[in-house]
Amino acid sequence: MLKRHLLAAAAATTLLVSALPAQAVSIAYNANFEALIAPGIAAYEAATGQKVDAIKLPGGDDYSTRIQTDLSAGTAADVIMLDSYIVAEYAGSNYLAPLDDLLKDWDQFKDFMKGPLDVVSYNGKVYALPNGTDVRMLYYNKADFTKAGLPIPWAPKTWADVIDAGKALNKVGVANAFLLEAGTKWGEGTTMQGFYMTLLGADTPDGDRNRLRDRASGKWIGDSPAIRNTLKFYQDVYVNDKISGTAINYAADVFNDTNNAFLAGDIGIYATGNWANDCLWGCGNANQPSQEEKDKLVGFSPWPGSGLPGAKATTNISGGWTVALTAKAATNPDAIKLLEAIYDAKNLGKWTVDTKTLTVRQDIADSDAYKSNPFLAQITAMVADTTGRDTVPGYAKVSALVQDMTAGILDGKSIDDVVKTYHDALVDEFGADAVVTLQ
Amino acid sequence: MRQSPWLAAARGPMLIAMLPAAVCILATVALSAWAIFYSFTNVELTGARSINWSFIGFDNYVRLFTREGFLNSLWVTFVFTFFSAIVGQSVVGFTLAVTLRGTRSLLRNIVEVAVMLGWLLPDIVAAFMWNATTSKTGLINSFILNPLGVGPVDLISNYALTVVVVANIWKGTAWSYLLFSAALDSISREILEAARVDGATPFQRIRLVILPMLRSHIATNLLLITIWTFGYFALIFALTGGGPGRQTEVLSILMFHTSFNVGKLGFGSAIAIAMMLLVGVLAVFYLRQLKEPK
Repeated sequence: MLKRHLLAAAAATTLLVSALPAQAVSIAYNANFEALIAPGIAAYEAATGQKVDAIKLPGGDDYSTRIQTDLSAGTAADVIMLDSYIVAEYAGSNYLAPLDDLLKDWDQFKDFMKGPLDVVSYNGKVYALPNGTDVRMLYYNKADFTKAGLPIPWAPKTWADVIDAGKALNKVGVANAFLLEAGTKWGEGTTMQGFYMTLLGADTPDGDRNRLRDRASGKWIGDSPAIRNTLKFYQDVYVNDKISGTAINYAADVFNDTNNAFLAGDIGIYATGNWANDCLWGCGNANQPSQEEKDKLVGFSPWPGSGLPGAKATTNISGGWTVALTAKAATNPDAIKLLEAIYDAKNLGKWTVDTKTLTVRQDIADSDAYKSNPFLAQITAMVADTTGRDTVPGYAKVSALVQDMTAGILDGKSIDDVVKTYHDALVDEFGADAVVTLQ
Repeated sequence: MRQSPWLAAARGPMLIAMLPAAVCILATVALSAWAIFYSFTNVELTGARSINWSFIGFDNYVRLFTREGFLNSLWVTFVFTFFSAIVGQSVVGFTLAVTLRGTRSLLRNIVEVAVMLGWLLPDIVAAFMWNATTSKTGLINSFILNPLGVGPVDLISNYALTVVVVANIWKGTAWSYLLFSAALDSISREILEAARVDGATPFQRIRLVILPMLRSHIATNLLLITIWTFGYFALIFALTGGGPGRQTEVLSILMFHTSFNVGKLGFGSAIAIAMMLLVGVLAVFYLRQLKEPK
């Protein structure tokens, strides 16, 4: 009797489930990329007649925390936007679907350049599609520089030149002369725009002495002259010479507050990337000032090295954002269709030129609109100097610990103390065998 | 044991009425047990150790004391709780309740609205407001410090913990004020009249009559606001994110940062358990104060 009831219930449930309309494909994305994602969604909806469940989340560090929590809880959307550095980590955790097979019938997959695809690959498989890449530089406020009697264009050759400019800016009332991202509120921004850009110029590049990871041995560098030099630079900026206050790194809405403060002249020099040319006036905002007007307000210089013997003259490191499919979406044909709609040459090409983003697609790079853009030509020249992050599983933890190191310096702790804390935490995390100290 | 017939007849409905409580208790016990279990492992939010984690005994608890972070946060939490809740909210709330009692003036209305506003505003809104108020071009610099010829002072850079403490006093005083106002109403006028006739000064009336009679209210208030403040998160997180450096990194922010930014769920759980024990000790202390002296 009971068995028959159960069977009937099971049959009814099956009928009910099969009768329900297929669930709408869902996407979670960073609002900073709305100008790329929203038209992609619209194109998908127009082509298929199906609605997309779109979850637009504010950019900033909390975006990554939210996605990470969703993934580990198993509640993530079908399609998710990810910073490229985290892709290998999530692929290694089986959160993402490998895309090679899913995209093999898409005639535009071949247009993606190999280098940028390597960044989002894990064990030889591609796990996300990059929408572009970036370079980093020191933006400066021209009105502040004029007031301080500093030369425009500005081209610092060493860290000392940056500190000197900062002191000159302090004298004319720019209290936050140099925004060097520090602490935990910037998240990955501290590691990339601040720490790694400094680190790369802190020692000779030989044997990866200027990196977080020794790539030949596969060990994390727990202590090195480059790490100590970098922390010394942070200490000069925030503690010794105090050319900037510390609070700006902890503003309530740190990305937007900083952009506004920089445009208002409250920050003189801003360590950021080429996206600033767009995002200072609202990422993807259609009503931006013209490039000529922007160039009157702000300029940029490549990041100088430390000036120590053997160190690089200028440094750069590239990242970028991607869109991936979560593992559960691997069998959902709608998810891959949505991905293709977003990355369609027309949609991605328009966004790339509008926002002046470095492209990762050969066909877009070859297009006239891209080639004829002077700003893009300028930043493309900086790509020669660039490198990538240590995008292996574990990097996200190391990055968080790097942010803690800079927070320690802001707190007035000694370099010895923060390096010891960092080293010990790396050993806790990866074991003593996987951590190396360079002399 | 003889059961009352009413209870026996109502057993069914009473069992149903108990269900929500049972679910709440079960959920609390299960989640605490889960956190205790995790605190003995090296499980992480993502990566290899989210799948292949292992037991590491008391390592996480040892690291509370041997690694940077916990002891600093314990101190910050202690300072924050002591000055913003125990000293700030409680004393300010009590003082307001005593001074405004019985008055029916415009002043009282204004003060009550101001106090309640802090309590009613969402934490995030309050955080943005205080961020703006204490910024270099904010209210405090523009209207108080600059006219006095001081500043502008970068308040959050230089006095982050003080700003957070003041913000929380402003935010939470309403609760203590309401509780003490209601408690004061329960003291009969005759007793206060009698004290006055006997020649007690206003200060003596507070110290010798009102305070002893409010003993249990004070303990209840302290118990509640200590528990709330000890684990308070949103206002500080939005206002300073725990910074600059680690100046305002209270235990709840350290726990969040460790668990969800760094991704060490095991270590984060150990911090959570330590917090639970600390609040537990404080709660026992206050509950003992609630007992009438013999």
